[in-house]
Amino acid sequence: MTKQWAGIAAFAALAASVPFFLGDNPYIADILITMLMMASLASAWNIVGGYAGQFSFGHAAYFGTGAYTTSILLTTSGIALPLCIGAGILAASLIALLTGAIVFRLRGHYFALASIAVAEIVRLTAHNLEITGGAQGLLITDITFGNLDLNSKEPFYFAMLFLLVTTLAISLLVRHSRAGYFLLAIREDQDAAASLGINLYLWKNMALIVSAALATVAGSIYAIYIRFIDTSAVLSLRLSIEIILTTIIGGVGTLWGPVLGAALLVSLAEALRTNLAGELLVNSGIITEASPIESFLKNNLAHAHVLVYGIITVLCILNLPKGILGLFRRKQRT
Amino acid sequence: MMAPLLEITSLSKHFGGNAAVSDVSFSVEEQRIVGLIGPNGSGKTTLFNCITGYYPASSGRVWFSGRDVTGMKPDRVCRLGMVRTWQRVKPLAGLSILENVMTGAFCRTRSATEARMIAHEQLRVIGMENVTQKTAGDLPIGLKKKLELARALATGPKLLLLDEVCGGLNNTETQELLEIIRGIREKGTAVVFIEHDMKAVTRLCDRIVVLKSGKKLAEGLPSEITSNPAVIAAYLGTGYSHA
Ligand SMILES: Nc1ncnc2c1ncn2[C@@H]1O[C@H](COP(=O)(O)OP(=O)(O)OP(=O)(O)O)[C@@H](O)[C@H]1O
Ligand SMILES: [Mg+2]
Repeated sequence: MTKQWAGIAAFAALAASVPFFLGDNPYIADILITMLMMASLASAWNIVGGYAGQFSFGHAAYFGTGAYTTSILLTTSGIALPLCIGAGILAASLIALLTGAIVFRLRGHYFALASIAVAEIVRLTAHNLEITGGAQGLLITDITFGNLDLNSKEPFYFAMLFLLVTTLAISLLVRHSRAGYFLLAIREDQDAAASLGINLYLWKNMALIVSAALATVAGSIYAIYIRFIDTSAVLSLRLSIEIILTTIIGGVGTLWGPVLGAALLVSLAEALRTNLAGELLVNSGIITEASPIESFLKNNLAHAHVLVYGIITVLCILNLPKGILGLFRRKQRT
Repeated sequence: MMAPLLEITSLSKHFGGNAAVSDVSFSVEEQRIVGLIGPNGSGKTTLFNCITGYYPASSGRVWFSGRDVTGMKPDRVCRLGMVRTWQRVKPLAGLSILENVMTGAFCRTRSATEARMIAHEQLRVIGMENVTQKTAGDLPIGLKKKLELARALATGPKLLLLDEVCGGLNNTETQELLEIIRGIREKGTAVVFIEHDMKAVTRLCDRIVVLKSGKKLAEGLPSEITSNPAVIAAYLGTGYSHA
């Protein structure tokens, strides 16, 4: 475990020094911020999905609730930024608690189904309310926090990094404490877990609330960073699925799997979006520009990243049940 | 006189029209080993499931340590000091042996360091201290059964319900395990012991309860049970060949 703490410290130090090497490159900074955000989300999801084995298909609901609550409070009230983020956490925890309190009384796949349903309810509500800007979305303007320059990317890079490191630290603490053993026991065999004195209901709810609270903060930071949110950006089923796939591809139930998954998938999405494959093929002379293949790639691949994720996930599940991280530590256990 | 540690009164469990357990009563005193025997399908495992809260009983009551635990959830039952093992083993398959036993130990401590100490101690008692890092799911059935026992013991129970823990063990291993169970009793834990191997049951148990088709057929000292004509007719005839 000491090794893992050292790993987190090393990662934090390394990642914190990146902006100084990078200088002022908003394009790369944007990709890195997205990576850190997806890593935080996947890592947060991993606490309830990976450790406790309770697959949430609706984590976008927590992310989106964070984004909306924080944005609405920031634009309509004079409440300080940290309190707005805190309010987001509170709101999402409440949704998590309501979902868990009802569904975790049942065994089986009810939670997975209910998590989709709840996320859809949250999405539709946000889509139809006035205070959320409805279908038009919400513009967030004139925000200040201390003397930070919120028009630069740097504060957001560090905010997401701080969130990710916090999430990793909480994961590590949980994993090696009593709570972690209980969650893993629940994942492995619920009857056996109960026979050892573990209150399934209590611990599943705990895992969900911690996971949801962390996902909320990612949403809050994202909203202030992007300055514009709508339901398709922060409350979509697609986002929920991406969070799961990131974790599964990286390595579900492991500390670093979600981070690895985020690094890979965000890079991949960017490569697809910018039609990197087409460009490479053109540059290497295999196909010519404006050839049918090139235009096919250009027109289709850019929107295909979820499909590509899906294919990679299927391949991972079939060949690498422990994710890509599992490749490097076949013999070692987490 | 002190109340018994476990007291079951007129317990019944029906699955539709099938009376898996009907009107069974018996009790277990502190520090006793009670054998629970009966042919396949006679309701032994179902009885455990009702006692430990996995199935709601159709009627009857279960008292443990002076408390009515009828209908109580399994995890609460365990925290009160009654723990069971599984005939169809339920290892925490992806975890190591040590982690499995530590999970049980967390029933009595919050500290991981302490849980690890308890787990090592239990694994030593059970004779598995050399394989603590193996993945539980990869073990042969005999070791899985022993792991069940170690994990249950780690919770620090007053009463241990063992459902065919000797399954998959050879003769010497069974003897060793019986010694271990005697040791457990010496340290103050009572045991209810389901087993088909009649030799093991008669040698280990202070009392024996016999079930047949869900009903209690007989109860008494091992010598009384082995000479009871009804038991011989119903069970021992097939039981000996089974063992
Ligand atoms: N969940 C269930 N649903 C329906 N019937 C059940 C269930 N569990 C057990 N039974 C029935 O209850 C009866 C008793 O089964 P039980 O498993 O308790 O017997 P047993 O004495 O443990 O047998 P064995 O020696 O084979 O382990 C059987 O007829 C079985 O089919
Ligand atoms: Mg049985």
